[in-house]
Amino acid sequence: MNAFRSIRWRLQSWHGVMLALALAGFGYTAWQLEWENQLRRIDQELEERVSAVAGATLAVQDRPAEDRSPREAPEQDERRPASPPPGQFRREERPAPDDPQPRRPPQEPPSQLQGRAGSPPGPRSDARLPAREMRFFEGLSGQAFYYVVWGPDGAEHTRSTSAPPSVPRPERTAALRGSRWRGTIRERFHLAPEGGVLVGRDADKDLAAVRRFASLLAVTGGAACLLGLGGGWWVSTRALRPIADISATAARIASGDLTQRIRTADTSSELGALAGVLNDTFARLHASFTRQAQFTADASHELRTPVAVVLTHTQNALARDRTADEYRESLAACQRAAQRMRGLTESLLTLARIDSGGLAEARVTCDLAQIAHGAIDLLRPLAEAEKVTLILQLSPVRCQAHIGQLEQVVTNLVSNAIHYDRAGGSVRIRTAAEPGFAVLSVQDTGEGIAPGDLPHVFERFYRADKARARSAGRAGLGLAITRAIVDAHRGTIQVVSAPGAGSTFTVRLPAGADHHA
Amino acid sequence: MRVLVVEDESDLLVSLVKALREEGYAVDMAADGEEGLFKARSWDYDAIVLDVMLPRLDGWELLRRLRQSKSTPVLMLTARDAARDRVRGLDTGADDYVVKPFDLHELFARLRALIRRAAGRPRNVIDVGQVALDIGPRRVTRAGQPVALTAREYALFEFLAVHRGSVVTRNALYEHLFDEDEDSLSNLLDVHVSNLRKKLGPEVIVTRRGQGYCIE
Repeated sequence: MNAFRSIRWRLQSWHGVMLALALAGFGYTAWQLEWENQLRRIDQELEERVSAVAGATLAVQDRPAEDRSPREAPEQDERRPASPPPGQFRREERPAPDDPQPRRPPQEPPSQLQGRAGSPPGPRSDARLPAREMRFFEGLSGQAFYYVVWGPDGAEHTRSTSAPPSVPRPERTAALRGSRWRGTIRERFHLAPEGGVLVGRDADKDLAAVRRFASLLAVTGGAACLLGLGGGWWVSTRALRPIADISATAARIASGDLTQRIRTADTSSELGALAGVLNDTFARLHASFTRQAQFTADASHELRTPVAVVLTHTQNALARDRTADEYRESLAACQRAAQRMRGLTESLLTLARIDSGGLAEARVTCDLAQIAHGAIDLLRPLAEAEKVTLILQLSPVRCQAHIGQLEQVVTNLVSNAIHYDRAGGSVRIRTAAEPGFAVLSVQDTGEGIAPGDLPHVFERFYRADKARARSAGRAGLGLAITRAIVDAHRGTIQVVSAPGAGSTFTVRLPAGADHHA
Repeated sequence: MRVLVVEDESDLLVSLVKALREEGYAVDMAADGEEGLFKARSWDYDAIVLDVMLPRLDGWELLRRLRQSKSTPVLMLTARDAARDRVRGLDTGADDYVVKPFDLHELFARLRALIRRAAGRPRNVIDVGQVALDIGPRRVTRAGQPVALTAREYALFEFLAVHRGSVVTRNALYEHLFDEDEDSLSNLLDVHVSNLRKKLGPEVIVTRRGQGYCIE
């Protein structure tokens, strides 16, 4: 649970950090753009005015008279015969055809302009600004522009009435035009050898607007961040819920209930795929456990019957005095039971050894035909007893094998064939070489194996016909052992069977390295 | 009492049959499921000892088919001891269940209990007047004194006592006291009855003319 939580928290914190960074970046950029926009607008307003004032004042002082346009010569009384009285400005400018006048509220009383622009330090300065320039500085109660004009000597030449008491002349730097901040006041100036013009206004309202914008951004950004975190929490909860299912199921399986499976509604997702893989693993584990339990049950079952024989016979014999023949009969039955148990324990031990991989070593290159011959010779009495003819077609072929185990393979297959053959039938044993393989095939002419039994004949304790198998003391382990040995030799074993015509078992073992080993 | 033993392991079958016969049962045997089912359907056995793992027809199937027509008490005999197997056996209609390897005495005791219960006798001791029959130790007493009976006499008396109150036909007696291998003569039954009357008293076994015998 802790690991799960930590994954979730890690996801969540990474997600939160990324989201916050992205929102902060976005907000900062937006604020920056807005601020630059505001500043550009302010500077543009100031520039319009400073150009106008500079044109009006500096040109008069320095430019030749013939170059001056009538509007730009506020000081030339002969060109502009009389500077109109302040009251006249308003009358003149109103009908101006090119006047957009966006910033001047029409209801603003004219006296206000007069009071501002026309009061001390002297009507002269205002009087020298022509109407067109003048209107930049009027009617804007919220945005009080002011101008200051310096002469070539640096002494203040003219200033608007709205100008603050002390406006220091900008230092002459490389730039002749520039802007500066004085507190919340934005000023723009033109400097020339013949003097300087500065226009400024208090930008505190604009700064406040930008600050408002910034806090709006912060609030919306914060809200978006919280929303994103909540959404992320929900998404991660949903995404991690299958993990909780998986771990709960795995815990149930770990506690012993192997039938549990993870519910996989959505098999297309990664977790669904993981759940599928885990379910497959659990299924295989369960199957393997079941097989093991079945094997143990089968083994104990096979041992129980001979033990029952021994018990009943001995109890019976000891219940009262018996004749010598009766004792002999009981002892013989006990012997048969004991031999069956011995065979079974040997088979079980062999299987256990093969299962634990104990047969891997001690392999030599040997002749399959020779080994088959030796093993078959021992089975001839059995074949004769069962009236089965053995037909040998053994061509020498080298293979890499554990000799004792290989003998057991031959013995198992041939005795099996004899056992299941009909009386008077034949068992044909062949050895041959195939590219890379040594091949042993054992073919009988018995009843064959029913198609339903065919897939199971190599399973431990599987017997197609239990009666015949048991009467010969077979536990159903012969073919299982055979296959285990062949598997351990990295070979293959196959069976084909035609009911009524007989079965053929074919073993392929890796061919021996050379012919003179 | 006549029982059928169905068991494919011949050594076990032989010793079981022998031991049961020594216990006084008339015993038939079958070595596979089909033969077992045939015999079980053909005779009214007092009990059937049935192995589960049988060739041709396994014990479960035999039991299932037998239960369609007969309610003969069945004692399952098997090497499988998983609870699942025992439950399945009892649910299929088996009356008792013994796991291999078993103790012969336990098997006999269970068989006796099975037969007694099937006849509706809750106790092992049956009193007939002064005569008492104890099925467990197979002992008969008359006025407290043990009476020596031959195996056949005991079997006859036990069968009549277990089915006390009902008339048992001669035919039924033949069927339950002699197994398939015995070539019994009809007068043998009268000899046994006469001997029993001598040993236990003339009034114990009543003859119903034309019907059979009865312990009232």
